[in-house]
Formats: sequence, structure tokens, C-alpha cells
Amino acid sequence: MSLASSSRPKSREGGLLLPAAPFTLWRGLGQVLQRESVLGYLLVLPAVLLLVGLVAYPFITALWLSLTDSYVGRDGSFIGLRNFLTLFTEDDIFRQTLRNSIVFTTSAVAIKTVLGLSLALLLAQNLRLKRLIRGAVLLPWVIPTALSTLGWLWMFDSLYSVINWTLLRLGVIEKGLQWLGTPHLAMIAVITVNVWRGLPFFAITLLAGLMSINPDLYEAARSDGAGAWARFRYITLPLLRPVLAVVILFSTILTFADFNIVYVLTRGGPVNSTHLFATYAYQVGLQAGKIGEGSAIALFMFPILAVIVYLQLHYARREV
Amino acid sequence: MKRVTRRQFVRRTTAGLAGILAYRMPPAFAQRREITMLGWSHFVPESDTKLKQLLEKFAREANVGARSDHVPNVQLATKQAAEVQTKAGHDIMMFYNEQTWRYRDQLVDLDDVVGELNKKYGTDIYPFCKEAFFINGHWKGLESIWPAIPGNYLQSKFRQVGEGPPDTWADLLRAGKKLKKIGHPVGIQISHCIDAHTTFWSIAWCFGAKVLEADGKTIAINSPKMAEVIEYYKELYAEAMEPEVLSWDDAGNNRCLNAGRCSWIHNPVSPYAVAMDKKLPIADDINHHSTPAGPAGRFFAPNARAYGIWKFSKNTELAKDLLRFLYREDNLSEWIQAGNGFNHPMWRYWEKHPVWNTDPKLRLLPAEGVFGRMRGWPASPSDVFGVIDDLYILPDMVAKAVGGTSTKDAMAWGTDQVKRVLATTHG
Amino acid sequence: MAIRRYPRLHLAVCHAGLLPLIFFALFPFYFMLITSLKGDAELYDLKAIPFLIRQGIVTEHYRFLLRETLFSRWLLNSLLVSGVATVIALVIGTIAAYALARLRFRGAESFGLAVFITYLVPPSLLFLPLSQVVNALGLTDSIAALMVTYPTFLVPFCTWLLMGYFRTIPKEIEECALVDGCNRFQALLRIVIPVAAPGLICALLFAFTLSWNEFIYALTFTSAADQKTITVGVTNDLVRGDIYYWGSLMAGAVVGSVPIVIIYVMFLDYYVSGLTAGAVKD
Repeated sequence: MSLASSSRPKSREGGLLLPAAPFTLWRGLGQVLQRESVLGYLLVLPAVLLLVGLVAYPFITALWLSLTDSYVGRDGSFIGLRNFLTLFTEDDIFRQTLRNSIVFTTSAVAIKTVLGLSLALLLAQNLRLKRLIRGAVLLPWVIPTALSTLGWLWMFDSLYSVINWTLLRLGVIEKGLQWLGTPHLAMIAVITVNVWRGLPFFAITLLAGLMSINPDLYEAARSDGAGAWARFRYITLPLLRPVLAVVILFSTILTFADFNIVYVLTRGGPVNSTHLFATYAYQVGLQAGKIGEGSAIALFMFPILAVIVYLQLHYARREV
Repeated sequence: MKRVTRRQFVRRTTAGLAGILAYRMPPAFAQRREITMLGWSHFVPESDTKLKQLLEKFAREANVGARSDHVPNVQLATKQAAEVQTKAGHDIMMFYNEQTWRYRDQLVDLDDVVGELNKKYGTDIYPFCKEAFFINGHWKGLESIWPAIPGNYLQSKFRQVGEGPPDTWADLLRAGKKLKKIGHPVGIQISHCIDAHTTFWSIAWCFGAKVLEADGKTIAINSPKMAEVIEYYKELYAEAMEPEVLSWDDAGNNRCLNAGRCSWIHNPVSPYAVAMDKKLPIADDINHHSTPAGPAGRFFAPNARAYGIWKFSKNTELAKDLLRFLYREDNLSEWIQAGNGFNHPMWRYWEKHPVWNTDPKLRLLPAEGVFGRMRGWPASPSDVFGVIDDLYILPDMVAKAVGGTSTKDAMAWGTDQVKRVLATTHG
Repeated sequence: MAIRRYPRLHLAVCHAGLLPLIFFALFPFYFMLITSLKGDAELYDLKAIPFLIRQGIVTEHYRFLLRETLFSRWLLNSLLVSGVATVIALVIGTIAAYALARLRFRGAESFGLAVFITYLVPPSLLFLPLSQVVNALGLTDSIAALMVTYPTFLVPFCTWLLMGYFRTIPKEIEECALVDGCNRFQALLRIVIPVAAPGLICALLFAFTLSWNEFIYALTFTSAADQKTITVGVTNDLVRGDIYYWGSLMAGAVVGSVPIVIIYVMFLDYYVSGLTAGAVKD
């Protein structure tokens, strides 16, 4: 679809980024750029270059590594899909990792969605100390993760845990809980830290989404007699859907690929009950040096996430 | 807005760009060679400071640049991997345990340097140093730090139950039962950390158990002796320890001892070092005794660290000179002093250094070296043991056992895992 | 309806509902702050109360952090890296998002998909082959390497977020401008971007935060003490073997986040006021 080219010559036609040039060349260039296809390609070019050079190439290398039995620093030989097969059929730690990842990601994202939406709705109200509260809510997201997780390590510590201290004083438990030493508690612990860290991301992005909904719509609905729940269901949710979809998708990807929290808190333990793909891949590929197998583990995330991405992409692209 | 002439504009932009570039590039006049080393962030910060001073001295003498970078030891593996893949990075790298074996083909031979140093310090070295760093007939690493791992204990608590420092693991069990009853259990990690391995291997060898035979290929983990080891852990866990040991990282046992709660741990003397540094009252109560023995003898698994030179380095000869400099008698002596007893080269010659002879609580440390063996003994260090350690197979086996799995099943699981590692690991 | 009749009650309920969430968000920070101000003796004392400081506030940990380590340099590095990477990512992401959201050209769909497929491989494994690329570019052991590699995980996110925002802007606004004689570029710059300002600021804030928090690339691509960022520098210098300098670690967490929070709070204010000033007008 080409647009009617301007009949009134403009001195800065063609865009701010082009240097000064003869007028006719200007017009010619401007006309070319008016074509959507050319402009389209030009605008995505930087992104393409960046991602091909710094993501696609390393990715292909990692893909290649996963098809070999490489060790760090030594070339391996091609073994096809053997890594993937043995992981799935013989490695029970890997199967455990798969289970852990699913539990971790679904729980964490679900909790973050519910809490994040609630928080966003609350923050959208006209509150006192709005600035302060919004700043406060942001803190978990903004503290460097490597350090805040250490803070949580201290809070879950077997001896000094403030959580245990409180629960003991309140009489809820009789003996200090081994948060990071008991499989189920350890999973709860890492999920808690992930939710804590990711909540602001949800809250603030959804808040921005809420803020861009035209308040007139609510007025109209109110005067039509719609209650709070109806307004939420028929105005807020549908209009929020694109943003919600983006946030949930990115959170799923980031949570699934999470490394730092598990690495710092439990290093995958106790007895591999909190290993995620990223931490197990790191342990096998980097610490143990079996880079071929490690790449295979990391790449296992790929088909799962690709399906999720495709579904979300499809879903979010539907016009509201 | 003031008009800026083109000339001014160009000049200012260039200056600005140059400023940005200079921020990360070395200044033009320092085009002389630079030699870099990467090591761990030492227990004792003064040791790193002393290293920096020594490097400055070397830089002046040799008219080169010299720099030492530090990362926590658990991140060394990452750095090694990145540098060896890109064939670029530091000239001298620190390795510990099986890592020297892993990268043996990418490391320069240090036979000449070791030969020279042997002339001065003699050839009486700790056996485990040779096991770890003398590979296929060549020295690949120069040992720098191996902390001894004695028993750290609280004297008052042991006195309270009428026990002395335990000399054997059996003594520990007996004392531990009494100590747990008075609320001061013992603590050995059973989790994903380095200390868990160190103690496991120590106990296993003391009972005469092993994972692979000396040929490095035959499975030896499923044996009555290993079953004894697992049984020992089970009893110790149930009657002398608390479940907290399942959640500890390398620092967990330190904290427990320094808090005055645990009465015995198996660790380098870092809790004592911290207590002295921060002037905690518990420092008076802590003391050390030789690593415990078992029916098969007295053994422990030191975490040996060495410096090696990457083959891809452009300054291999200069790097060797730097090592010769650091291991010169005067410099080495200063460095050992700064390390508060942790820095310890491979020659027994150095056992008479004052750093271990001023504080009576540290006197036993150097001689402990003769009990040291590398992980995997009696087999040689190899990738297999690197993988076994890095997958935490052995602590997990114990964790399963103390968590309720039968000894037989836990051992069978361990055997399976080791078989799998053996089958999929080459070299 | 109830809201109309009992506005005060409604507000009170809202405030009450916020409390547990705010407590959850804030308590760990409070705890870190307290830990950073406690003397070592009290910190390691099992009988002490964790919530309070009873043996006097101690500035020792901050002093140690700021004097004995290169903390201020690391802070500067983090700011530089995050700032530059964010700007790069925003520019690239904005124009790409505009193209994908508004323009129709062949390959747009597959490009969008391809971008996110490569995004799915975690940095924890990409970093090893990536270090070879970085080395080939001559950027090893410098913060410039980070400025170049961070956009790889920032651009997909920015692109997607902005695509979403651009799509919610009615096409009519641009059509008007185009008919008036603007070209696409000018439409983008003068019309679309101001309206999408909330989205842009969101993208900016999160790109900045993701850069600020990043750990693995920073660990791999920087070694020299003066090239480290906060996350790497603090953990490298204050975790030694099995000794954790808890007080200073927590001080690092506190100092490493407060300035950023202030920036955030400033920006949030701006875009909210921008909105209420009628940016979303017909």
C-alpha cells in the first residue's frame, strides 16, 4: 500500500536521520522511504543485526554443542540426538528438573498474576502517599537480584532465620523449620523469592496498562448501571488483555529460565528437588565440564517455551 | 544558545569520544606487556592485598604490568570455561582439585620452574600435591593453597560431657550423642556444597571405602565398606546432628560453630579466623585437633589449589618468571604470613614457618598434609571424579540414606549414578 | 455503586488491602537495612532479636564497603552499562516495534517469531559461545562488552512491550497526520511516541532494571576489579571461601538500590502526570 506522496515540498522531508542532500535526491529518497516495505525492513534492520550476531550465532553454536559430547576446552565428536535421549530416558535428575521447572513456573506465574493484578488495581486508586507506596512496591524489583537473594538466604538460614524466629514466637511451630533443607519447603522458599522479586514487574506494567484505559468508558458504564465487577470484567480485562498477555508471557520465559535464585539459595538441592533447567545445565555443563550435555539440557527448555510463545503470540495478536 | 563553531564542535566531540574510549582502554603510554592472574577471593583479605603488593614489586623489577583479579572460588569454573573456549583471558589461572587434570592439555609444563624450586626446598612434598598436579609426567600446576581440614571444636562443650577432642570418627559419634543431648550437636554438611564432599571422602577413606578402583575404571562403590560409611552417617545424623545440615552451604557449618551452637565441625580454620578478626568471645573456646581417623587409617580430602599457565597466553615465559618470583623464598614467606596459615605450598620445608608456630591452636596444621589424598583415591584424579563431585552424587546418596532410604537402595542409586558418569565421561 | 456512596470506606478498604502486599514487598528490604546497620556481635548472636538493633547502630559495614572495596567505581560502571544498554535497546526496540505494529511487509510475522525463538535460550548457556564473539570484537574484560551484549535480552522485551502499546493507539491519529503531509518517520516521532510515552517509560525502566540486575554476562566478560558492576563486585569481594561478610553484603544491597528507586519514583511521577494532563485525547 503506497501513500500519496506529498505535493508540498518540505525542507526536512525524508526524516531527521538523513544528512543534507540535493533537493531532488531528497524527494526521491523520501518517496522510496514512503514505501512501507522499505521502511519496514530498514526499521527492523538494527534489531536483526544485533540478534543475528549476538544471539543467533551463539545459539547455533550451543545447538551444535548439544549434538556432540564436547567437554569444555576440548572438541567433541558428533553424536546426534544421543544427549537428549539419554537425558530423558536415563537421567532421573533431569526428569526431576523437568517436574521442578513446571511446578516452579506455573505456581510462581499464577501467584504473580493474581497478586500483581490486585496490586495494580489497588495502586490505580487515588491513594494518599501514592508516590511513596509506588516506590515501595518497586523495591524488590530494583534491588540487584544477586544481593537480595543473599538477603533471603539469611532470612531462611537454618540458625538465624527471622521467619523461624517469628513463627516460633507466635507459637505456630515448635521447632525451627529447615527451609532450605527440606524438599517441599525449599520449593516454597524459591517460589516465594521469585514472586517477591517479580511482583513489581506485574504490578507496575499492569498499572500502566490500567492508566491508559480511557476513564470515559468507565463513566459510560457506570451511568449505564454496571457494577464494579461488571466493569472489571467487560472493560478492564479485555482492554488489559494485550498488556496482560505480554507480561505473563515474559514472566513465564524469565521464570522458566531463572538461575540466580535457585543457585544462590539451594544450588539445586536438597537432593535436586529445586533444580531448574538453567541451574542443572550450569552444573553439568560448566561445573562438571560436560558442555555438550549441558547445552542439551538448556535446549530442552526450547520446545516447551516455543509452544507457549506461539500460543501467546497468536492470542495476543487478535485485535481487541 | 551560544553558537558553536564547527571546529569547536568537532574538537569537543572528539575529546568526548576519546574520553569514553580511554575509560576502558589502557593509557597509550603503557603499551608495555601486562601479565594477569586470576585467583579466588581468599578467606583472608590480607593475603590478596599482599599478592597485589608482590605483583607491584615484580612489575617494577621486570618493567611490565602485573595484575591479579579475584572471583569467589565457586565461580572459578565459569571463568576457566570461558577463557579456554575463547582462548583469551588471563595468563595465569587458579585451579583446584580435578580442574588441573581437566585442562591438562591447555596448560604449559612447569617442570623447569618446579625443578629450580625443588633445589631450594627439597623434594619432600605432600603426596596429594603430586597426585593432583603432576600429570602424565609433567608438572601442570604450582600448588599454592591447601587449607588443612582439622576438627574444629568448642572446648567447653566437650568438657561438659566429659570428652576430649575426638581422635577417631567413632569417638566423634560417641561424643556427638552426648553433645546433641545438651543442645550442641555436631555438624557435617549433607548438601550441594564443597564441604560435603570433603568430609565424605575423608570418612570413606578412613573406613577403607572407595568409589573406583585404582585403575580408574572398575566400580568399587558398592561394597560392605561403603555400606558401613552410609550407616555411620545415618547414625551420626540421627543421634548427633540436626536436620539443618541438609540445608547448609559451605558457610553453614562456620556459622553454626561461631554462633556457639554446634560443638564440632570439619572445616579449615576459617571460623577461628573470623572469630579472631571480629573479636568474638567464642574465639577463646574454639580449638582444633587432627582430622579424625578410622579403622583404615587417617585421611582427609584437601581442596588443593594451584596456579597454572594457559598455553594460549602470549606471555608464557614472563608468567614463569612471575611464578619464580612469587615462590622466591622471601616473597613466599611474606605471602604465607599474610595468609594466616591458609597459604601453603607443596614442600614440607615450609612447615617450620612462624605463621603456624605463633598461635598454638594452629600448630598442628602443616603436618596434616601427609594425610591428604585427592578425591577419587586410589584412582588418579580425572574427569570422572570432577563430574561425580560436581553432580553432588555422593552427598545426595547420603542425603537419601539419612532421609529414610535403606542403605542398600541408597548405595544402589549411587552406584547407578557413578556407572552413568563413567559411561558418559571420557578422560 | 457502593463506591459512589461510600468513597471513604472504599478508600479505607483499598489501603487495608494494600497493607499485606506492601509488607511483603518491604519487609525483606527493612531486614537487609537492619542487618547492614547491626554490629557483628549482635548479628551473630543467637539470642538477639532479628528485627531490632539493640546494641547500637553501626556504620562499620558501610565504611568497609565504601572505603575498602571499589564500590563507588562499581556503582558508576553499573550506571554506565545500564544506561547505555537501555538507550540502545530502546532505540532499536522502538523502531522495530513500530515497523512490526504498523507497517506491512513480507517477513514481518516470521521475523517477530524468530526474534523470540532465539530469546528462549538462557543467558546461562549462551554466554560461553557469546564470549567468543565478544573476544572477536576485541571487547574482552571491559564494560563495553556488557553494553553490547545486554541489548540482546533487552531488545525482544522492549519490542514486544512497545508493539502492544503501539497497537492500542488508534490508527486514525496517524492517518490524520499522514494525510496532512507527514511521512511515516515524522508520524512516528511526533505523534506515536508521545502518546506511547507510558509504554516507553515502562520499557525504559524495565530495561534498566534487567541490566542492573544481570549477573552471568557481567561475571564472564569482566575480570579487572575496576570493570566490574555492582552485582559482580559485591559478591566477589564480600564472599570469600566460606566466609560471608553479611553486614557489608546487605549494605551493598541497600546502597545499590536506593539511588535507582529515587530515579524510578521520579519517572513514575512524570508519566502519571503526563497522562492526567490529557495525553490520551481523541
